[in-house]
Amino acid sequence: MTESTMPIASIRDLRIHFRSKAGVVHAVDGVSFDIRRGETLGLVGETGCGKSVTARSLLRLNPMPPGIHAGGTVEFRGAGELPVELTGVDESTLRAIRGNRIAMIFQDPGKALNPGLTVREQIAEVFYQHRADELLDDIGLTDRAGLVRTLIAREASLRSRWIERGLLRVPPLRAHRAALRRAVDDRVTDALAETQIPNPRAVMDRYPHELSGGMRQRVMIAQALACNPDLLIADEPTTALDVTVQARILDLINDLQRRHDTAVLYISHDLSLVRRVCDRVVVMYAGKIVETGPTEDLFANPSHPYTRGLLAAIPSASHQRGALAAIEGTVPELVDPDPGCRFATRCGFATPMCETTDPGLAPVAADHEVACFIHHPVPGGVGPAYEKAAT
Amino acid sequence: MTSVGSHPTETGRRDVVLAAREVAKHFPIKEGVLQRVAGHVKAVDGVSFEIRRGQTLGLVGESGCGKTTLGRVVAGLSEPTAGAVLFDIDSETLAAYDGGSSVGDIETAHKVDALTGDAYRRFRRNCQMVFQDSFASLNPRHLTIDIVGRPLRVHKEASGSGLTERVVELLEQVGLGRQHLYRYPHQFSGGQRQRISIARALALDPELIVLDEPTSALDVSVQAQILNLLHELQQANDLTYLFITHDLGVVRHMADHIVVMYLGTVAESGPTSAIFENQHHPYTKALLGASPDVDAAEEFTGLEGSVPDPAHPPQGCRFHTRCPVATARCGWEVDDVVRWIEDEPGAAGRLAGVKRDSAFAAELAFDDAATAAVVVDAIRSGRIHASMPEAVLKAESRDSRVDVEFGAVPDVELSVRGPGHVAACVHESLLDL
Ligand SMILES: Nc1ncnc2c1ncn2[C@@H]1O[C@H](COP(=O)(O)OP(=O)(O)OP(=O)(O)O)[C@@H](O)[C@H]1O
Ligand SMILES: Nc1ncnc2c1ncn2[C@@H]1O[C@H](COP(=O)(O)OP(=O)(O)O)[C@@H](O)[C@H]1O
Ligand code: SF4
Ligand code: SF4
Ligand SMILES: [Mg+2]
Ligand SMILES: [Mg+2]
Repeated sequence: MTESTMPIASIRDLRIHFRSKAGVVHAVDGVSFDIRRGETLGLVGETGCGKSVTARSLLRLNPMPPGIHAGGTVEFRGAGELPVELTGVDESTLRAIRGNRIAMIFQDPGKALNPGLTVREQIAEVFYQHRADELLDDIGLTDRAGLVRTLIAREASLRSRWIERGLLRVPPLRAHRAALRRAVDDRVTDALAETQIPNPRAVMDRYPHELSGGMRQRVMIAQALACNPDLLIADEPTTALDVTVQARILDLINDLQRRHDTAVLYISHDLSLVRRVCDRVVVMYAGKIVETGPTEDLFANPSHPYTRGLLAAIPSASHQRGALAAIEGTVPELVDPDPGCRFATRCGFATPMCETTDPGLAPVAADHEVACFIHHPVPGGVGPAYEKAAT
Repeated sequence: MTSVGSHPTETGRRDVVLAAREVAKHFPIKEGVLQRVAGHVKAVDGVSFEIRRGQTLGLVGESGCGKTTLGRVVAGLSEPTAGAVLFDIDSETLAAYDGGSSVGDIETAHKVDALTGDAYRRFRRNCQMVFQDSFASLNPRHLTIDIVGRPLRVHKEASGSGLTERVVELLEQVGLGRQHLYRYPHQFSGGQRQRISIARALALDPELIVLDEPTSALDVSVQAQILNLLHELQQANDLTYLFITHDLGVVRHMADHIVVMYLGTVAESGPTSAIFENQHHPYTKALLGASPDVDAAEEFTGLEGSVPDPAHPPQGCRFHTRCPVATARCGWEVDDVVRWIEDEPGAAGRLAGVKRDSAFAAELAFDDAATAAVVVDAIRSGRIHASMPEAVLKAESRDSRVDVEFGAVPDVELSVRGPGHVAACVHESLLDL
């Protein structure tokens, strides 16, 4: 594989557990998948199945403790950079990647945006932190020793306001204050304009609470995409929005991604949205991957009983009222789980071996893998089958 | 007027379980230390519909359009600012009421906030509500038996072991059981908590249940369980539902009749099939177009702009600020010009003041004459909206000032589009647009 065909990120046998009063919660339990350069990968599954914990491990944002990194690796290959193993890397390398090479947008922009900072200040911070040398270039300031750059980048994590008001009062920098402000303004305006916010210059000076939900979401996207990251993680970015606004935001992410060749990890429990925006899909259930494949193939030939169940449960015009195909039962406890297939307690096809042996992922078609004995050759025993259970 | 004097405790058998007539609910906006009333949020602003016995009425619309507010008024949990909610009334009496005859008598017998004594109690027990957020609506310190048993105790229906048995029965109806009696809400999953809310709503054997987004917080597989359960219960107990949701797939599946709300008013209402197959309001069309359907992976568009402030709803048709097919008759007003100025790079920030004579006429003051000229040109040339030149009566600049006036347009009323199907749009059909 050449560098450009190598996946942008590879997660291998990742295990993230949480200590709780009831015992150890196996939130993510042996998850492996790749995110390819420029693709949109959907991560779907029920509440609590481990989607967010998996995604947060790409930025090492899971709180530890109570979290435990119980095993596995997360390798990231930024464009033109050496691979980095994110679970083991030091804090300063991680900081250089966060918000720069990997960015994240959240379900609730209220939490991601700082209520005390204007839109301009929120986005400026990203530039100060990751693009200090380009800013200095913009204003024609030479910084041979890299001192100013280091200073600015370090202060950026504190506050852009402080940089402009405080740091830039220092004599050799003072002369450039206005120029720097202009350079930052230009970049912030461009970032906002990318998200089709009307009149970015006016929006720049507002505080988050003065914006509607859809606009806050755009500001968060502008901030996340400000540095042209190689990977954007979108954790249920539109769940809190109305369908009409939702459609616009998804279009926007798709469009920006195509233009900048950004890979997107798109997390959602809404299968119809995933079908619309993703190239490939990973389906999780109770901390494990149960199926993964190209979107079209997966929706045309869902192979895991859980995936089939999810698709069948969506109300559609053809369903008789009261006859939706619900998956009976509930997600099993993730505290000290049984060794077998985690779906066995709700699966209509389960056989005794399903309860004792973990099926593991195996291919069923090109690029399409399933963790279910219905599709695996079963060594020395009689496995489950769709036909058999149907009778 | 045969039914007015019927015995108040008799189980209602009249064909309309509940009718809303021009219902409004306005919330005061209070300002300053003195908390003076500075205006009103018109959360619901003149809504009418009726729900027939055994049927499900779906109520859809964007966040903030007034669905929950209307649901609470209907369930008797809050009083309408204006209009009437009529309970358990037959179609003929309702027709008489709409025709203006015996209004006083009919209201005494059926209008929810006029009911007293037994009649009021009968309404209270027969109309229940299930809330969107089961976590917030179930007291975290109460056990299941107390939560589900409370209505029974309050209405003195049961006590002691009789109460326990009735609660078990209710839990079994919603797919739970005796083993769940002594657990707290946090010990249940989201789907199970919603079942408990439903069991509580069923306790007094009501006729009508208002379901406010009962499955929005749930995953599809659990949502399917709850929707199936609601259908079974409806069949078994002859229940009538007002089903509030923003999920069009869900409403299509569950509802017989749909009301589409926009900014506190009804944009369109009709039988489910008519709403899905033959929309007569551009907003309904946009909602359906934006809703992703797993079966159809076609393009989706969404709507421009954001929902206007319900304290200052637009004139004419409330949807005209976002409507893709708006015309000169839809209510162009001063605010439309001001909003354009604020978003226009060349003009933003140069508007110094607005002196209004009405929503339709004002004098705009700018920092310079050039901007004033640009704005006049934008109004007249159709740059703000193609249909604006036809609607404007006056757009003239005097130095840095602009006088602008539009023809006053009344609210766009609902008109009949088919059997039981009404829409509030100036277009007779959207088919050739
Ligand atoms: N107690 C209140 N005081 C002031 N304004 C209110 C109050 N309750 C609701 N509103 C306002 O009334 C409007 C309608 O609110 P409502 O909760 O009915 O919306 P909704 O259609 O149910 O929205 P959602 O889909 O988000 O639940 C909103 O603008 C809301 O902010
Ligand atoms: N900070 C935490 N402390 C304890 N448990 C957690 C924490 N974060 C997540 N979990 C648990 O991990 C599991 C997976 O959670 P999450 O990844 O957030 O699910 P989702 O798939 O809905 O995004 C859940 O059982 C959740 O309760
Ligand atoms: S492995 Fe067995 S229990 Fe698991 S999904 Fe397949 S058939 Fe069902
Ligand atoms: S009346 Fe009809 S055409 Fe005019 S703005 Fe309203 S919805 Fe659009
Ligand atoms: Mg999550
Ligand atoms: Mg609501």
